[in-house]
Amino acid sequence: MVLDSLILQSKLFFTEDMGIEIEDIVRKEKSAELNLKSHTAMIGVGGELNMMVVISFDTPMLNKLVEVFMEGEDVAPEEEEEIKESVTGEVINTIIGLSIPTFPKRGKGVTITPPISINDASNIKKHKDSKIVSANIKTHYGELSISAIIAKDVLK
Amino acid sequence: MLKILIVDDSLIIRKKITTIVEKLGHEVVGQAKTGEEAIDIYEGVKPDLVTMDITMPDMDGITAVKHIIEMDKNAKIIMVTSHGQEDMVIDSIKAGAVGYMLKPITDEKLAEVIGEVFLEYACDEHEDDLELSDDDL
Repeated sequence: MVLDSLILQSKLFFTEDMGIEIEDIVRKEKSAELNLKSHTAMIGVGGELNMMVVISFDTPMLNKLVEVFMEGEDVAPEEEEEIKESVTGEVINTIIGLSIPTFPKRGKGVTITPPISINDASNIKKHKDSKIVSANIKTHYGELSISAIIAKDVLK
Repeated sequence: MLKILIVDDSLIIRKKITTIVEKLGHEVVGQAKTGEEAIDIYEGVKPDLVTMDITMPDMDGITAVKHIIEMDKNAKIIMVTSHGQEDMVIDSIKAGAVGYMLKPITDEKLAEVIGEVFLEYACDEHEDDLELSDDDL
């Protein structure tokens, strides 16, 4: 399952690369809509899989990730927003990159788009021919959700 | 000391590579957020090494490699890539990149690829030393 791969690689990335322990994971296999947190990034996966992957962070969680990425260096106020967007993009890029080789039915020639950031949006609603699978991941620094919006025929 | 051009749309990655490059005693001579910017800057600064992201808005890294190699067939370009982009890495190498580095970027990985470029430079210089002049003949 795509969601299993995303959860596993997220766990590995946050615990091993970022040093952030996971406290709980809640799966949602069938969501009509995706409720977004304060900071969101999205990547399109092309090829036979053809889906969108969305990662969404609470602010304290993203702040912790920025701290880890910056390795103790201060962030200039004028760069703060771009750094946050950069970090959300890098996190989703890394998790997708690690997950793709483990996706079932991925076929050959899988491509990924550059990440895009979504600001000031509260939810994404699915189309009738798509399915949203999602996991809410709880840490000491707040929560994040990782989700895939997949065409139904890909799941057959 | 090598002159290095960093090409990546992510500010955090440009900062990270800059920190490591400077720690290793090299000079960052330019930074670009897109492939098009990279081509413009390359012409002006003629770096010894380029670190190039693969997926970027407007012009991707593979296309940028092709353009830079057209301008300078000896350009040394290292692709910076994530897991799962193996097909794109192969396309980049076919386009003229000399190597790649998988994220997450670490001091050790970057030092290793820069070391490889240094070695090649050393060999190139050594070959020049070995060239015989007319007097030698």
